[in-house]
Amino acid sequence: MRACAKTNWRRLAALLLGLAVLGRAAADFKVTDVQPKFADQALVLSGNIDLGLSSQVEEALSKGIPLEVVIEVRLYQYRRFLWDKQVAAWTLHRSIQYHALSGQYLVSAGDPGSETRESLLTQQEALKSLGSLNDLRLTFTNIAPVDSYSVDVRASLDIEALPTPLRPVAYTSFAWHLNSGWTTWKVAR
Amino acid sequence: MESGALKEVRQARRGHGAGDASGAGTPRERTEGWNRYVTRYVTGVTPLAVLSVLLIAAFIMMNAAAQNSALFGRLYSVLLLVNILGIVLLLALILLNLFHLLEQYRARVTGTRLTVRLLVMFVVLAVVPVSVVFFFSIQALNRGIDNWFDVRIERALDDALLLGRTALDALKQDLVKNTQTMAGEIETISVTRKIGGPRSELTLLNALREQYAITELTLFTQDGKIVASSSDASLDTGTLLPDRPNDAILAQVRQGLVYANLDAIGKSGLQLRVVVPVHPREVGAPNRALQALQALPPRYAKLGESVQSAFADYEKLVYLRGPLKFGFTLTLSLIALLTLLIAVWAAIFSARRLAAPIRELAEGTRAVAQGDYQKQLPVTSHDEIGILVESFNDMTRRIHRAQSQSKRSQQEAEIQRAYLETVLGHLSSGVLTFNQRLMLRTHNPAASHILGVELKAGERKPLAWLAERYPLLQPFTESIAQATAAGDSEWRTQIELPANNHSRTLMVRGTLLPSWRGKRGGYVVVFDDITTLIQAQRNAAWGEVARRMAHEIKNPLTPIQLSAERIRHKYLRQVEEEERSALDRATRTIIEQVEALKSMVNDFSEYARSAQLRSRPVDLNDLIRDVVELYKNERGLAAAGVVPLHGAADKTGRKAPRPVATKLELDADLPVVSADPGRLRQVLHNLLLNARDALAGTPKPVIRVSTRAVAENLHRLVELKVQDNGPGFPEPMLGRLYEPYVTSKEKGTGLGLAIVKRIVEEHGGTTHAENLKEGGACVTIRLPVGEAALVEAPLHKLVPAEKNA
Repeated sequence: MRACAKTNWRRLAALLLGLAVLGRAAADFKVTDVQPKFADQALVLSGNIDLGLSSQVEEALSKGIPLEVVIEVRLYQYRRFLWDKQVAAWTLHRSIQYHALSGQYLVSAGDPGSETRESLLTQQEALKSLGSLNDLRLTFTNIAPVDSYSVDVRASLDIEALPTPLRPVAYTSFAWHLNSGWTTWKVAR
Repeated sequence: MESGALKEVRQARRGHGAGDASGAGTPRERTEGWNRYVTRYVTGVTPLAVLSVLLIAAFIMMNAAAQNSALFGRLYSVLLLVNILGIVLLLALILLNLFHLLEQYRARVTGTRLTVRLLVMFVVLAVVPVSVVFFFSIQALNRGIDNWFDVRIERALDDALLLGRTALDALKQDLVKNTQTMAGEIETISVTRKIGGPRSELTLLNALREQYAITELTLFTQDGKIVASSSDASLDTGTLLPDRPNDAILAQVRQGLVYANLDAIGKSGLQLRVVVPVHPREVGAPNRALQALQALPPRYAKLGESVQSAFADYEKLVYLRGPLKFGFTLTLSLIALLTLLIAVWAAIFSARRLAAPIRELAEGTRAVAQGDYQKQLPVTSHDEIGILVESFNDMTRRIHRAQSQSKRSQQEAEIQRAYLETVLGHLSSGVLTFNQRLMLRTHNPAASHILGVELKAGERKPLAWLAERYPLLQPFTESIAQATAAGDSEWRTQIELPANNHSRTLMVRGTLLPSWRGKRGGYVVVFDDITTLIQAQRNAAWGEVARRMAHEIKNPLTPIQLSAERIRHKYLRQVEEEERSALDRATRTIIEQVEALKSMVNDFSEYARSAQLRSRPVDLNDLIRDVVELYKNERGLAAAGVVPLHGAADKTGRKAPRPVATKLELDADLPVVSADPGRLRQVLHNLLLNARDALAGTPKPVIRVSTRAVAENLHRLVELKVQDNGPGFPEPMLGRLYEPYVTSKEKGTGLGLAIVKRIVEEHGGTTHAENLKEGGACVTIRLPVGEAALVEAPLHKLVPAEKNA
């Protein structure tokens, strides 16, 4: 409930945006499952982000336009009488690109700690790989063990990373506004 | 625009000054000041100029960004946003300016119409070319972008990619075949050499890798664990860990399928990956997977990468054709819009700037038309308009100078005129001026008075009109007409002017006025009423005659009388009886006639007697009552030596004496006059006697005596009127009533009125005799009020003294 209250306006905004893009409601980013936990001076995230692309974005990808997905993670500390305190924030940049010669999709995740680069045959696989959080370690310090924490996650398509001529189109088209909105997940002990 | 800003600055300064004067200033003033401040910065030249420069800079950067410049690529969106916002702001500012202008236009502020016209002209001049350029630029841009793409190039690239793929496929198939061969060998080894496990497999892998020239050869268990691996030392992977296939590949291999693919491995290029299942020969042993990684030969790698990048770039470009056009069109549109807006703004600015001096000139001209000759305009430029403004300033200065000069001279003329008018107004002589055509131009009050006509009506009328309108003035006008016709520069003449009951004598002098600018000057005619002067001369002559006569005649009278009496006394008894009566008659006649002569001579001497007034304050009313009382009382009358009023009947031989009614109408508030009461009494006697005599044949004789106070020409006067209802004065005598021996009576010296007039004149008064319209005669006497007497002796003290006297 607390998390709900906190992100109420964000949800509302997301809802409005969702209503606005109802026509292509199926194609959007969605944080389906995240399991955050603390382990050894680090926040470890596991889960999946469903990265549904709209037809326009899919076409652009297939034409060799590199896409960059930004995954934002924020760690909040619960406070009884005040708003929750943001303890740490990370921004992960992951990109996907079609390699025409090999007919594969190249996925690179510039996650902290591990630089992975994969070649995948199908777009579906590539997107799945792009959206998967496999024990992602996000390091930080100064955790008070008694407090309760929550994690907000959001995934969105970075329009600014698109080629310059595409940016005005992307900004003015709902098809390019792929954004999961903030989702809140409780950190397990 | 600049002038507007200037004006606002001036206003702001003024406002500032006012604010200083009033201290802190009211909130309203502060609000107005703020508003002015805002207006100045919103409609001024600076914000628009700054904004325009910023926008142009932003557009330059955006253009660079659109061409994929690394420097501005990141800023592209921000620049775009800034530009759009800036254009909106610029648009708002321009609209505000236009609105401001429109308001002024509606309020019909001077110069706005010109500004609007110039503005429209400038805008049209700017918009049309920009629009044309914009339209053709868009066309050219679209065509240019379209020209980048060519079907043949596209097909060639596709073919190149296909060729590359085919070549790589061949390599891949070779590798698959080799790997399967290797897998077969591994299978046999695992059967023959059970002991040794991985060690022996590693040896085999190394051998196989070297045999088949494979970059990396790895044996996995079915769940992905590495059994053994051999890699080319020359391959710099940076890690000792062998490359592990992902789960999808392993799953594929578990199902007994072969995986073969070309992997793109980032910067290090391409590699072939083949994973084949390794089926153990013996039953129950787990399946394994053999992965062979083969780096492409450098030549292949280079060519492949080249084909890939070219194809990818081209594909990207094809895909981005639409957005690129959109982006360029957007940039171009924004630039065109910006140019247009700046042009519009410049038009507003220029129109205002051009119209400002003209507007000021128009305002100045209007001010001059309304009579403000002190208007000076600021000279802001040195071009033709500046010269115009300078000329305007010079003109207003001159007009102002001339106007003040004319005003001054007008004032002087006014003063001169007032001076002349005062002099003329208080002149006792009548003054008339005529222009060269003998039209009456000016006249003074004395002229009207002397001529007895209202000259006001005759202004700017010819002399003939005057003669026609007032026939009595004919001798006067004729004399002027004759004299002017004669052309004398100076003339004088004496004329007789017939009045109602007597003629008046005027002395008329005329002078030709100096000519001016070749025109003949007018005439000035000055005239005096010299009737009284002539009268006085005549009176003086008569007085002299009377005095001489009295002197010359009176002397022999007494010896004559004495001699006659002696003759009578001596010879009356001596002569015969019959002659006695004749002697008696003769001597009696001599004595009687001498007596009559004596009384006549006495009258003359009375008339000729020089004035020796013993003036003192007299209440005229009391005096009148006294005298009239005497006439009622016979005895008193006899004592006073006057004939009773109704005694006239006896003298005229009428049978029944007819009593004369005397009516007194005396003003109770009559001021005191300073006079000799004895002589005034004589005046009254004479007047009453005259009236009584005149009433001899009248059926109902009434004498009316009235007094009143009048004011004439600032002098206070006491007026005494004695009027009767008799036949009046005989018409021919009216002009000479006051001359001695002018009488209508059978017995009379004709000295009565002459003496009255003389006494009145001695007192400084005037006498006027006339016939009344309703019948009867009226004599009016006016005496000046004795101011000094009034001060010296108040009225209530004077009255008893008079009565006692």
